Amino acid sequence: MRAARPAALAAIAAAILLALVPVVARGNITLLSLGFFTFLYVAQGVAWNILGGFAGYISFGYAAFFGCGAYTTALLWLGGWAPVATYPVAGIVAALFSLVVGVPTLRLAGPYFSIATIGVGEAMRILALNLDRITGGASGLNLPTVVPSKAWFYTAALVFAAVSFAVAAAVRSSRFGLGLQALRMDQEAAESLGVRTALFKNLAHVLSAFIVGACGGLYATYLQFAHPDSVFSFTESISLVLIALIGGLGTLWGPVLGAAVFYAVQDYLQTSYPTFHLLVYGVLLILILLFEPKGLAGVAGRLWRRTPLAWRA
Amino acid sequence: MAADPAGVESLMTALTLDHVTKRFGGLVAVQDVTIEIASAHITGLIGPNGAGKTTLFRVISGDVRPSAGRVLCFGRETTGWSPHAVCRLGVCVTHQIVRPFGELTVLENVLVGAAFGSGGRTAGRAARADVEEVLDFTALAPRRDVLASALTLAERKRLEIARALATRPSILLLDEVLAGLTPAETHQAVALVRGIQARGVTIVMIEHVMRAVMDLSDRVLVLNYGRLIADGSPAEVTRNPEVIEAYLGRDSAVAQ
Amino acid sequence: MFSAQNLISVGIAALLTAGLYAIMSYGLAIIYGVMKVINLSHAGFLMLGAFMTLVYFQLWHLDPILGAFLNLPVFFAAGWLVYTTLVRRVITALPIASLLLLFALWLVIQNVALAIWGSDDQSIITAYTYTALPLLGFRIPLTRLLVFGIALIVLTVLHYGLGHTYIGKALRATVQDRQAALLVGIDTEKISAVAFGLGTALAAFAGSLLTLLFSFTPDFGGSFQLKSFTIIVLGGLENLAGVTVGAAILSFAESFAVLFMRASLQNVIAYALLVIALIVMPGGVAQLMTRGRS
Repeated sequence: MRAARPAALAAIAAAILLALVPVVARGNITLLSLGFFTFLYVAQGVAWNILGGFAGYISFGYAAFFGCGAYTTALLWLGGWAPVATYPVAGIVAALFSLVVGVPTLRLAGPYFSIATIGVGEAMRILALNLDRITGGASGLNLPTVVPSKAWFYTAALVFAAVSFAVAAAVRSSRFGLGLQALRMDQEAAESLGVRTALFKNLAHVLSAFIVGACGGLYATYLQFAHPDSVFSFTESISLVLIALIGGLGTLWGPVLGAAVFYAVQDYLQTSYPTFHLLVYGVLLILILLFEPKGLAGVAGRLWRRTPLAWRA
Repeated sequence: MAADPAGVESLMTALTLDHVTKRFGGLVAVQDVTIEIASAHITGLIGPNGAGKTTLFRVISGDVRPSAGRVLCFGRETTGWSPHAVCRLGVCVTHQIVRPFGELTVLENVLVGAAFGSGGRTAGRAARADVEEVLDFTALAPRRDVLASALTLAERKRLEIARALATRPSILLLDEVLAGLTPAETHQAVALVRGIQARGVTIVMIEHVMRAVMDLSDRVLVLNYGRLIADGSPAEVTRNPEVIEAYLGRDSAVAQ
Repeated sequence: MFSAQNLISVGIAALLTAGLYAIMSYGLAIIYGVMKVINLSHAGFLMLGAFMTLVYFQLWHLDPILGAFLNLPVFFAAGWLVYTTLVRRVITALPIASLLLLFALWLVIQNVALAIWGSDDQSIITAYTYTALPLLGFRIPLTRLLVFGIALIVLTVLHYGLGHTYIGKALRATVQDRQAALLVGIDTEKISAVAFGLGTALAAFAGSLLTLLFSFTPDFGGSFQLKSFTIIVLGGLENLAGVTVGAAILSFAESFAVLFMRASLQNVIAYALLVIALIVMPGGVAQLMTRGRS
């Protein structure tokens, strides 16, 4: 609502600049894959934030949607579909599953919802491991080897991130977004002012699950492989939580910042210390909860306000 | 509603409680209460603490489902409706402990009511105009861009009313909006309630500030231990021996 | 498969597991009861308890059971410290803040452990690890009997302590009604620190006992954490005595379910029970019983 114009312009400018990267650096595989994973995280972190940040329902179970999407794409692709055509279906399957999860669990108060989603996420992973006839079980599914170029994936992930951001921005400035904010702060008061809280929570859940599911599909085509322990992993779930929280819960730019930092740190530490980034993130999260609830976006906002007006162009 | 053959009656009666009972486990909070509330009047609801007044409001607003009995608003049965549906029908309740959306500004708080209440669904510009009007009416306009968490208690109480008004209620249920206010603030709030009534809104108010209830109300209902023990004009109620007994020793100044 | 022989042996196994489950969940229940905080770092302390037992074993050849008791004061202090330096500072904020803080702490603990001990399986082999005792015609591993016995003793002592000492009574009073406890002069702030210390100590204690039965890694504990939640939800969240009931329900459900389904699906039972219990009976099994009465 406030300052929507400059934010939108900045986002569009950033997207255009980033879209030019493959043209300039077509052969730079490292850069393109860095971009692909960062955008994939941006898309998901921003989507997760619609429910987690705007509505305040912290879910530790989004790997379930990511996995649903990944396997939907995998199976359709093996069935002869073109990968691009499978992404919307992957999103829809994830969205439908989010309804199955959300209708009962979103009635719970916040912390209990969080706990329940851990249960749902882990249950899905174990089920997927055991449904070996569909998912390939512990050996996973090998997918076709004929895939588009790295530049194509880079651009596709950028489009996903841009769409996700646009959706979140639209939600935030809409009547729907106002309702989500109100119910986050006081559900009973929101309901008594006419906000259909149950419907809104589920809509937010479905919307974000759709995006995360589609991202799962894109990821499966990129990797040409789907494995329950990877696409349904708890680490995938908590990555989204961390990205949004560290970037700035409930802010528009927070998850974007969070995702960029998250993947950069993860990529940097991956080779030397495989899970060390989670330690870094754990410490960061503690600091943020104690000192700056609005995360990196909050810090950036403070720095911005301290910048002399003349520099702000 | 006007086409309703029973319309003549529903124009007169805004709210009907028909043998409403609410039990919490073994505790009977509201027991077999039957009331008809006339439209565009101010009705005071009084009684000692724990008499079931707030529970009765919660039954009307849909926060709790009655154990027995029916609730009718404008002749339509709303028993078992969710609070948001009741609100959209035009029945809005303010909370005894004010619950502003702390991280939203005063204006945004009121906008929630305007965008979702019975006048809502239009959102956009019309809702904005409503908000401005309500902010002026409740004297909150100068504070429109302040975060609700930064308001004083009196301002929060006014915000609670403003938000409710923005939903364009036909029936407004006010739960202790005067409690904790200074005499000057009380005076302002009483004027505000009068102003709301002047707009044709039916008001039911729970209040412990007796002078104000007696001044404002066209009719006073008295609850004690969940039962309706008196119903009449302020003068009649204060003379009722059962009411005096219920209050005596608790707060004798009240019964005067 | 469904011979009486078989059913009895499954029953015995379930009973033994129930003891372990109860001790594993009690700490979580105490912390939740006193401060309404869901301790997501429970698994971290469980795992750390197991690794500290390994350290004692390697350094001094200390038996895991003695290690478990040594862990009690060590982790009580750790829990106290965590409460006073971290949890206390966010406890007045939204309930989700403390949940997230403890989740972050879990990440830290887990990854510090990974940095120190790596991700290889660790185990502690004692002289009695492979001993089995004949009982009712079955051969029962000694370690399982030991774990059950110790859990039973500790839970009994704990129950007595909560019922008969000042601090225990104060703690139970705070569980029931924090505000009222404060009004009658209980230092609820101190009780919270004690509860967090006690909960952490019990988590580590359970972790030590687990080393008698299983091998472990820094990832160890995640599934136990979820099971502990299931147990305290089944037991009624604020009902400390309900923990034993919850532990028994889960353990029997899991043990007998294996007769009907793949063993690898066993954990799904706990997760499904968790979600169902949260949704349909937030007051736990006890609530279902009282509801029947009213």
